[in-house]
Amino acid sequence: MSTTELQVRTSQPAATPGIPRLSLEGISKTFRSGNTRMTALDNINLEVTPGEFVCLVGPSGCGKSTILNLVAGLEEPDSGKILINGQPVTGPHPDRLLLFQEPALFPWLDVIGNIEFGLKSVGINGKERRERALEYLAKVHLHKFAKFRVHQLSGGMRQRVAIARALAINPQVLLMDEPFSALDAQTRDILHTELQQLWTETGKTILFVTHNVREAVTLGDRIVLFTYRPGRIKAEFSTAHLPRPRHLEGQAQTKLVREIMGELQGEVQLAVASEYGDARLRVDL
Amino acid sequence: MSSITSEAIPQLQQRLNTAQPLKLARKTGLTLLKVGLYAGGLFAIWYLVYLLMVEVFQVWISALFPAPVDVLVSLVDHAADGSLWRAASASLARLFIGFGIALPAGILIGMGLAWGRWFRSLVGPIVLGFQALPSVCWIPLAILWFGLNERAIIFVVVMGSIFSVTIATYDSTKLIPPLLLKAASNMGVKGLAVFSRVVLPASLPAIISGARQGWSFAWRSLLGGELLTAGIGLGNLLNQGRDLTDMALVMAVMLVIIALGLLFDQLVITRFEAYIRQRYGLVSRSL
Ligand SMILES: Nc1ncnc2c1ncn2[C@@H]1O[C@H](COP(=O)(O)OP(=O)(O)O)[C@@H](O)[C@H]1O
Ligand SMILES: [Mg+2]
Repeated sequence: MSTTELQVRTSQPAATPGIPRLSLEGISKTFRSGNTRMTALDNINLEVTPGEFVCLVGPSGCGKSTILNLVAGLEEPDSGKILINGQPVTGPHPDRLLLFQEPALFPWLDVIGNIEFGLKSVGINGKERRERALEYLAKVHLHKFAKFRVHQLSGGMRQRVAIARALAINPQVLLMDEPFSALDAQTRDILHTELQQLWTETGKTILFVTHNVREAVTLGDRIVLFTYRPGRIKAEFSTAHLPRPRHLEGQAQTKLVREIMGELQGEVQLAVASEYGDARLRVDL
Repeated sequence: MSSITSEAIPQLQQRLNTAQPLKLARKTGLTLLKVGLYAGGLFAIWYLVYLLMVEVFQVWISALFPAPVDVLVSLVDHAADGSLWRAASASLARLFIGFGIALPAGILIGMGLAWGRWFRSLVGPIVLGFQALPSVCWIPLAILWFGLNERAIIFVVVMGSIFSVTIATYDSTKLIPPLLLKAASNMGVKGLAVFSRVVLPASLPAIISGARQGWSFAWRSLLGGELLTAGIGLGNLLNQGRDLTDMALVMAVMLVIIALGLLFDQLVITRFEAYIRQRYGLVSRSL
């Protein structure tokens, strides 16, 4: 319906069959602080097909957030190319929306106002804007809260508003940076179900960062495991054999979760040793 | 899934809302009672001092230390003959014009300071310097530039309050959560829209606090200006009391100045501030 309309208005490159929705080609990124240089990402190659749900896992500090910032255009890679539907990324654009651990809603607007903020930013105005905002609010089951202030909502509800705000803009890729890690376990379970529903419904391409292997296996079609410093892709896992919708504690996932955790263990150990400066400190996943 | 909470919360809010008017009326009544008792107590102490020092020991004279009643009579007299209204409305007109210029201009300059490094390095030191200058120091310059008139006083009011608003605005922009700016930029908001759609609304609560300070500076500057120049106004009425050695009038005008300043601060600024803070979720229920 209005999908194509929006794509024209925000001048998003249209999807072409055979071309990946998102591709990272030889991405490297080094941070300098004073005289020390730290290679956060080293030669990352990744392709994401349209509608795919890809989870990035790795120890804290391996560069997961950096990848999302690069794709979002908020930072620039030192080398390599990032392509959306074959077109190079040149800066922030609403065709790639980033969701954070904190919902980043605007406290001076009510719930519906927050969703309309995003729509206004991509040039959708008038009646269409309100209707579309309500439509997406309903998608996250919060239509009764349209007039609520942000501070009147629970943490989970706020994150759902943030998801609705992003989806309403109809991005080519949704980038999620540990979006559920600040929520309690119960709320997180509900949101896992809701996100899978939304993803099936909207067919969005999602790049989802988490340090929680179970969460990654529950949500992702594919799980990409990163090494610690410099961040490189260590292994990839497919979840094609696991039926959906999946739940965090699902039995079918356990074998894959164990396998990934085994691979991750060594990297987490490196991260801990580096952060605490003590190689003897053991962490068992 | 989430339907249980969806049903319950609007009902809860409705219940909270219906309870509001009654609670508010009782709260207002209580506040009035407290204010009345407080003012009554102050006047009682004043009267006691008057009785002791003027009537009993006769160390002070009533022309220099009038009784509360004398001041009240003077207040009623000057209100009745219209001179108090004329003075107060003339002063308030200057104040509102001056503050009405200083507030938006101060906010604009404050936003400018937040916007560009070059603007900050050019204008920042000037703002800091002028903020350090007491506003009465502008009076000689204002008189030479504009003459002994309305515009000179308004100029002093503007100069006296603009920089505190500017500094409060600029400071508040530094406290905006970077995540909000990142989210906005991610959604494609850039340039001036960042200021109108994010920076300004995000710093509004702090700007209002700055406005309160600006208001009190404006009020002081106004009286300073009026005392040192001519023309109808509360400052002029104070001068008139001094010239006639009419201490009751002097004190009556002082009371009016206090009352007007407090009234605007409490009835307009404080209420607006509370409203905004509540909307932004900056107050906890227990406060
Ligand atoms: N702006 C920055 N300046 C300097 N170092 C940074 C910056 N952003 C990230 N880093 C460093 O890059 C590494 C990867 O960070 P990040 O992508 O946030 O890791 P993750 O999200 O996987 O925990 C970390 O070691 C971090 O300290
Ligand atoms: Mg991170």
